Amino acid sequence: MKIIVCIKQVPERDAQVRIDSSGKWIEESDIQFAMNESDAYALEEALQLKEKHGGEVVILSAGPERAGTTIREALAKGADRAIQVESDNLNTLDALGVAQLLSAAAKQESPDLVLTGLQSDDMGYGQTGVIMAELMDLPHASLILNVEKTDSGITVKRELEEGWFQNIDLPLPAVLMIQSGGTKLRYATLMGIKKAKTKELSKVSAADFGASDAPGAPAAPAATLEKITQPPKQKSTQIIPGSPKEAAATLVEKLKFEVRII
Amino acid sequence: MNFLSSTLAEPQSFQTWEKLLLLALILLSAAIFLRRFAPILGRILHSKKDPNFTLAPVGKRSWDFFWEVICQAKVIRERPLPGLAHAFVFWGFCAFALVTLNHFAVGFGLGFLDPVGFFGRSYSYLAAAFAAACAIGIFGLFVRRFFVRPRWLGRKVSYESGFIAALIFILMVTYLAAFAVRSASPAATALWWIHALSILVFLPIIPHTKHLHLVLSPATIFLSRGGFSKIPPLVGDEDFGLVTGKDLTQLTSLQAYSCVECGRCTEHCPANNTGKELNPKQIILGLRGYLNEHGPASEQNIIGTYNSITADFQCTTCGACEYQCPVGIEHLPIIIGLRRGAVNTGMWEDEHGAKLFLALERGSNALGMPASDRDKFIQKQQFPVFDGSQEYCLWLGCMGGYDPKGREIIADFARVMNYLGASYGVLRKEKCTGDPVRRLGNDLLFQQLAESNLETLAQNKVKKIVTICPHCVRTIQEDWKEFGTPPAIEHHSEFLARFADKLPRPNQNVRVPQVSIPGNQNLTAEQEARVPQVSTLRPGNENSAVEQEASGHDFSRAENSPNPDRALAPANNKIVFHDPCYLGRYRDVYEEPRAVASLAGEVVEAPRSHQRSFCCGAGGGLVFLGEETGDRVSHTRVNELIATGASTIGTACPFCNSMFRDALAEKGDAAPQLLDIAQLTARNLPPANQQ
Repeated sequence: MKIIVCIKQVPERDAQVRIDSSGKWIEESDIQFAMNESDAYALEEALQLKEKHGGEVVILSAGPERAGTTIREALAKGADRAIQVESDNLNTLDALGVAQLLSAAAKQESPDLVLTGLQSDDMGYGQTGVIMAELMDLPHASLILNVEKTDSGITVKRELEEGWFQNIDLPLPAVLMIQSGGTKLRYATLMGIKKAKTKELSKVSAADFGASDAPGAPAAPAATLEKITQPPKQKSTQIIPGSPKEAAATLVEKLKFEVRII
Repeated sequence: MNFLSSTLAEPQSFQTWEKLLLLALILLSAAIFLRRFAPILGRILHSKKDPNFTLAPVGKRSWDFFWEVICQAKVIRERPLPGLAHAFVFWGFCAFALVTLNHFAVGFGLGFLDPVGFFGRSYSYLAAAFAAACAIGIFGLFVRRFFVRPRWLGRKVSYESGFIAALIFILMVTYLAAFAVRSASPAATALWWIHALSILVFLPIIPHTKHLHLVLSPATIFLSRGGFSKIPPLVGDEDFGLVTGKDLTQLTSLQAYSCVECGRCTEHCPANNTGKELNPKQIILGLRGYLNEHGPASEQNIIGTYNSITADFQCTTCGACEYQCPVGIEHLPIIIGLRRGAVNTGMWEDEHGAKLFLALERGSNALGMPASDRDKFIQKQQFPVFDGSQEYCLWLGCMGGYDPKGREIIADFARVMNYLGASYGVLRKEKCTGDPVRRLGNDLLFQQLAESNLETLAQNKVKKIVTICPHCVRTIQEDWKEFGTPPAIEHHSEFLARFADKLPRPNQNVRVPQVSIPGNQNLTAEQEARVPQVSTLRPGNENSAVEQEASGHDFSRAENSPNPDRALAPANNKIVFHDPCYLGRYRDVYEEPRAVASLAGEVVEAPRSHQRSFCCGAGGGLVFLGEETGDRVSHTRVNELIATGASTIGTACPFCNSMFRDALAEKGDAAPQLLDIAQLTARNLPPANQQ
């Protein structure tokens, strides 16, 4: 099975982001970048499928030069080779534009399966994978926690709301948007990194897909980014009164039904 | 018969056939010895060369050799009675070198020690004294092995050991008996032959038994890696740690064959003592077994038949094994080497371990907290930011930056630094030093963390670091050297001890445990227990409870001592100090933290302290793995500390503190208070310095 995993490099989770002078993007010079979290799960799912059924895992990433480190990380974890789509104006593209670039590159590989993360940690559109499926004319499913190969295709497990799950059979090839947390991630190893050095990383540019009206070339953005702002700071502290037993009961109540984290 | 007038009896000169028989027996004995020893030496020499090994400093090596081999100091210090018995046997052997040479020379009529000449007679008396001591020593060791039978020697009785003990005993007795018979008598001849045959039987037994240590351990001790838990660098693209025989280095193989199976390592191992699979002796014997079967060129995995991956990852890297080993085996580079092999190749699968690695791949700290939490803490504490103008960089570490209890310790230490007028600043960004991943064998992450931190320190032009965590100290000072030049670093116990005469004393202000609490007298015991203890301990403090909790002072009292009376007026003023492994055995710092703690109360000792301190269970990354087999190391240690009757457990490591906090949580009223030496010191600060 040939699996393409789309990976995006995003600001590190802990990064202290500052808005740059244009007011439309963040200052990139003083932050570090990492693999988008749900993409890491997509990669893990792909690697597990390969371990079980054989085949090839190809990384596909649209990003500037710096994205190379994240691509190498994916190769270190076990992907076989990578394709990096370079373009100067990625920042200004909307989800459609990026999906056009990615799907043009993906089509040339004729994959059995394309996996993307559910959404990116920075922009969070949650659109790229779905649009890619449309552009590639393939069936797709989103919010996927698990993928099992069957004789006729695949069975996927989707997470619905309120603890419901849905299992769907899909034919191959297909495009899946993978949700974080469905499996356990593997850690990067020294051996993996050393092997990754010799793995193929091919670079293609948007221009390789032809003129601006060719199918692969990105469309002019239908959505443009006006400005970004820091979220307003909010903090509310509550002191729960009562005996430790009462307070603990109230706390559990609040964590369950107000904050909804347990 | 006056012993002093007696002389060593020698046999009549031998006939030619006797000489030929003797020669044949000597050649046979030597041939069997060599036949057995040569392959072992071959396996050691054909192992991989040790990277970065240098003989320098020869002075230190010579001293260690003199002290540990010639003086038998380590053997005696750690187990005085059997140690002395062993030393007698060893010294007896040394004294007998000349005697043995002469013994066989006599057989060929070439004796050079004249039993009636001045030197020969004097030397024979000296040797006789050693022989007597050696006979007593070996008899004692025999009794210990076969009748006392400490469990560290293993359940299997070694009959070989008994046989060898008997041979040594016979050697000594036949020598001594020769003083009681006449020269050239049949008895003298008989004693001579028994003595000679004992030696010739003894020699071929050496190579395939633990008595090989006679030959190898002097070399093992002299050729140590040159530092405690010194982890060798990985060399080339194919080196991932100890994976197969090809990764075994000459020193590792030499050490594997030197093991004398005494079990000191296992006796002191916290994992083994709390019912876990890990047995350090078995790790070393496993390598020996592997070498015997597969040899150093094999590509067979070491982990498997001869080594258990579960056991490898139960090690807290406390270093008690390496410290105790009398024959110079360095267990930590071996155990960590096996972990490196397993982690660097992805062989090790562990839910908690993977979580730790991923937290450090994606974030800055081992606790998996957002870095912004550290920023908030720094802001709240109003720590000055390091800008190059201050003398010290105060390194927070993961515990100091993110752990609630660690934060209390670092905040108190900062208060003491303020009081002393020391200039310091904290870094805006700091990553985990890589200690847990270094010990767990994740070289990729360790290198990334070390390099990133070294760069930050260089950018900030840091010259001196001080920190509360012995793990940070060790990792920065020793382990980072592989990737650059770290700044000077010291542990806060060393820092505080240097200022001992300037540190506050309990009588300098009112904030001592026995003080009455203005404003809180009307609280019932239950109410008082709920109020953060800080307010009860800070007279006239107007801060709100929330702020006090944030400043985090003395939270441990409220938590560990539900009985407020006890918390406020400890039953005694005794502090039992727990030596952190990474401060004691790793750094050889024992007196400084005691000097600091003694300013706050009477320091008492746990049964196992100083070099023999028993681990808290946190080291080697194990604090992040979860301990699911057997008893918890931390509980075992805490029970031992409580049994001293001290009202306070003094710590000097935030990891020990965290482990003990959990272990004490179930003790209820019986729990002593738990305070770092920085907290013990800060409690004596004048009120103005408490903020």
